[in-house]
Amino acid sequence: MSKTLTYYRTYVIRALIIICMIATLASWYLVSPPIDALANELSIWNMNIVTFTLFVGVITILSRYVQGVKERADNWVFMLYAIVLIVVWIIFGTFTGIYADIYQTAFLSTKITLHISILGQLIFFMTSAAYRLFRIRTTRTLLYALCTATIVLCNSPLLLGPFPVVDKISFWLLNNPSMSGSRALMLTGGIGGAVLGIRILLGLEKGALRATEEL
Amino acid sequence: MLTSAFTGQIIVSGKLFQLLTALTVGILTYIAYHYGKQGRTWEIRQLDALEAIYDGIGRAAETGRPILMLPGISNLGNPQTLAGLTLFGEISQRSAEIGVEAIASASSTAVITATEAIVRGAYTAAGKPELYAPGKYVRWFGGDQFAYAVGSAGQIMSTKPSVILYAGYFLFDVIVSGDMGSRVGAVQIGGTLGSMEMISMMCDHIFIGEELYAASAAITQDKMSMATIAGQDWVKLSAVGLMVLGILVKMAGSDAILNLMGM
Repeated sequence: MSKTLTYYRTYVIRALIIICMIATLASWYLVSPPIDALANELSIWNMNIVTFTLFVGVITILSRYVQGVKERADNWVFMLYAIVLIVVWIIFGTFTGIYADIYQTAFLSTKITLHISILGQLIFFMTSAAYRLFRIRTTRTLLYALCTATIVLCNSPLLLGPFPVVDKISFWLLNNPSMSGSRALMLTGGIGGAVLGIRILLGLEKGALRATEEL
Repeated sequence: MLTSAFTGQIIVSGKLFQLLTALTVGILTYIAYHYGKQGRTWEIRQLDALEAIYDGIGRAAETGRPILMLPGISNLGNPQTLAGLTLFGEISQRSAEIGVEAIASASSTAVITATEAIVRGAYTAAGKPELYAPGKYVRWFGGDQFAYAVGSAGQIMSTKPSVILYAGYFLFDVIVSGDMGSRVGAVQIGGTLGSMEMISMMCDHIFIGEELYAASAAITQDKMSMATIAGQDWVKLSAVGLMVLGILVKMAGSDAILNLMGM
């Protein structure tokens, strides 16, 4: 693809983004049924386009795994297993529909079971993460660890039983410094996100949306 | 409330203040951008996590191990994901220039498509388009949160990256990949507004709040981008001013500011 074509292509995408952005914002702030209808239509188009990107994902995963099976790469048996499952589930879903009883039974007994097993493992990962946190390498992690330890202790039966008042300490920590800190993060994050959007529209950010001559 | 003589209400009830705020953000940012175009310059304070990225790219070059970027579980509509991708754009180009592999995986297929485009652009810009191949650097493990968590953990175990950058929207999934990152000895750098406490537990360096958004501007040191960060600071100052005014007015026994914000 020539540089010029890429350059125009990127500008066309940016123009489309600006149109979609204005339609969505206008629909949010203004009382106007035609603008609402336009924003709704654009949202449906967006969903359709995103659905098409699913093919990119499936093709990526299949091409990689087929190559892995051909070359007998590490764990190729699992790759083969994944290929078979993807193909079977697509055929199965296409013919029975995803709300059919048999499809739902298969889904609940495989995917959901795996999902719950991962959730169960999280507690071990959290313990491992807590271990790393409590090694306390910097002043900031010292403060973090002190607050965490205080909340853990104040919620333990060992302290709560004889001294019920300690409950208030953990509530104070959660409702005052923690809440104000998280709200500050949310506020500044919101402003930062809005300004990032403006930077992208102005073409100042590098990435898939920036039109540059080097692309 | 603004109304039209013919059609009735123009602004949705309760959203006038929001609209004015959005316009203020846009105007202040554009004024700063305009000053930037006229030659005025600003400096961003040193970001710890950004310095770690610079060191990390060097470290990856020395060890011959890749840099892994995880943009999280959200889609392209999330500004955190966009911030992560813009940061990745800069990192992948620098990595391509010095021969370090920058790899990534994401949960949303739309993000995968954008990430592929970024990697392709980075190799082209670095003058090495022949090194790019679709699917070589960017991986997808399924759209589910835990499929992504386990898949990226597996990617970490198999590629043993030197640096892992978590920049985007994360929830509990980050703890699975973060633990694997620690096990392979990677330097972990994170920034999110989703599950900040998890990122803080797992990462060696973090972008605190809005630093995630400022990082891509700071890494390029582009004057125009820095100007918009100055505009962002003006918006924050205005917000703080409004808060202080609100407190004072409320202490004086008036609900004027509250009523204004509810318009």
